[in-house]
Amino acid sequence: MTFRAFISILYILMFILKCMANQISGSQTSLREANMAMLFDAITKYGAMTQVELAEATGLSTATVSILVRRLVDDGLFTTTDTIRSGRRATLVSIARKMGIGVGLHIGRNHLSICITDFSQKILAYHDRPLPYGHKPDSTLIEALRLIHETVESIAASIDEIVAVMISLATPIDWKHQQIGVRGILRDWDDTDIIAYFKKSFQCPIFLDNDANTAAIAESKQGVGIDFPNFLYVQAGDGIGASLFINGALYRGSMGLAGEIGHIQVDPFGDICACGNRGCLDTVVNEQRLTSVLSFTHGSITLDDLIRKAQDGDPGCRRVISDAAVRVGTVIAQTCISMDPQCIIIGGDLSKSGDAFLEPLRQSIQRLLFPNAVAPIKIMSSTMPDTNVTLGAALAAIELASNQPPVSAQ
Amino acid sequence: MTVSAHTPLLELNHICLSFDYIETLSDINLTMNEHEVVALVGDNGAGKSTLLKTIVGVYTPDTGSICLRGENVSIPNIKAASDYGIAAIFQDLSFCNNLDIAANIFLGQEKTSPFTIRNDSYMHVKAREILSRLTSPLSAFRSMEGLSTGEKQTVAIARAMLNNPDIILMDEPTASLSVIQTAQVLSYIKELRNQGKSILLVCHNLPDVFAVADRIAIMRHGKIVAIHHTQETTYEQIIAEIAGARQVNNEFINTESISVSHKLIDRYN
Repeated sequence: MTFRAFISILYILMFILKCMANQISGSQTSLREANMAMLFDAITKYGAMTQVELAEATGLSTATVSILVRRLVDDGLFTTTDTIRSGRRATLVSIARKMGIGVGLHIGRNHLSICITDFSQKILAYHDRPLPYGHKPDSTLIEALRLIHETVESIAASIDEIVAVMISLATPIDWKHQQIGVRGILRDWDDTDIIAYFKKSFQCPIFLDNDANTAAIAESKQGVGIDFPNFLYVQAGDGIGASLFINGALYRGSMGLAGEIGHIQVDPFGDICACGNRGCLDTVVNEQRLTSVLSFTHGSITLDDLIRKAQDGDPGCRRVISDAAVRVGTVIAQTCISMDPQCIIIGGDLSKSGDAFLEPLRQSIQRLLFPNAVAPIKIMSSTMPDTNVTLGAALAAIELASNQPPVSAQ
Repeated sequence: MTVSAHTPLLELNHICLSFDYIETLSDINLTMNEHEVVALVGDNGAGKSTLLKTIVGVYTPDTGSICLRGENVSIPNIKAASDYGIAAIFQDLSFCNNLDIAANIFLGQEKTSPFTIRNDSYMHVKAREILSRLTSPLSAFRSMEGLSTGEKQTVAIARAMLNNPDIILMDEPTASLSVIQTAQVLSYIKELRNQGKSILLVCHNLPDVFAVADRIAIMRHGKIVAIHHTQETTYEQIIAEIAGARQVNNEFINTESISVSHKLIDRYN
């Protein structure tokens, strides 16, 4: 071969290599982007993670994760902090605050709560504001607006950083049309356009959801439901609500009313319920009914007092709560036969009375489920009964805004 | 109405107090129980702050008795009240701006080691403990200067909680507070109540009163005109009683306007 031929072959080879290199670098860029998206997904889904955990969750090598994280930190999308894992120093990766914050609001019967989280599911602020019973929408909405503005300011953020606001109410919500689903339960609020009110102040999307649903979301992301893709969450307090998590996602039903077990009939000749039906579970397990049977021995007390006295051992209060547990357990058992969850999570005010409620509940559920089932169903109480509704609302806001695998299985 | 015999924590019986010719407190009868928040509402000059000051020992009643846990006591000064487990938080938060938060919490009650040397480390540790129980992010080392009203209010509450009182008197605790601070103070009042404390709260904000109080006592011109359970009354009834109207057939009628309209009717007849 002459020297010239050799050089030209070399040039041709280099040209071919260059083309191949271009192709490789082209797909390298999109591969890098795909990997970054995987990291982003993992942190949004599971919260802040160490680089080693990210490698495990995404299947990437730790070296790749490290390089990508460094790049994302430089671009201002991720932040890292030092932490300890198994006694060793590790780098905790979370999404930078400037990605946005989610606001969760819980309008309860005698309080207003706000929770703000970021994309790594970290709680940036949480406040609880007592309100009078029967508080009216006009004053409560103003108070809620002030609370949101002040809380955002208190964490040195701005209103523009809010990606979504989720408002949680103790009434069935028509998820599809984003309005109250059954009239008469929160009577004062039936004709209030909550979303329109907040849309005047915020540019981001505003959502409404039922309180049991947002509580279940909190349980599935950060609570005892974290390891269970199929669970039934029951909120037992002034009235009963429930939420179904199926295959890792919240099942809302066709209108968003799935889980309203408080309106399953338990007494055909019972009281008329606020929903219009008769003898609903809510008519026998509500604050007024539970406290009124104690009026002769205890005078006028609130549900919170009843629960506290039961915790302290008051026999009358324990009896009332135990009887309520039996009623609720019957309906839960029926729901479990239909749904076949892995476990049941109990939250709400009544769950705070501990074994006074949980023991009779457990017994009444087990009694009505298959006696010969291979494994008895797990019944657990929530570790955050006071905060799960509001926290879940904030987490749901973040999830809805980031277009992640949808919160609803719909 | 309770079947069990239950001694009230504090009983005020026929308390009267006059300054010169004004009857500031006139035949005051009030009981306070554990696990209870009693709100004291009324017009300006009704005697609410005076009643609070009488319970905490600033004033001594001319006649009448104060019964603490079933025993008659006399409360000559604030220190005696503190020994009895009564603490008060007034609106004029009197602090020393040149000292830090810990020093202000222990103002007048400084902990000394033998030889009367101030035990600063003990005071700082205790101050931090109380502030964390109030879930306050304030550091005990911070100077009082530059604190917001809400933060000063928190320090005032910490100061009152120092000797773990059973009875806490609060004069307008949520006045001039921000929304978050109001939320924190009201939540804290509910928390104290659930822990078993007895709280007497002077407040002008009726929604806040209805949010935390178990009973509402209305004062007018030195007298307690009515005491209602919160769940058994309405805004209208409370406002009417503050203004001195009486209830006739579900209507609140101001007796003054009745006599005026009678005069008008007579004139036209």
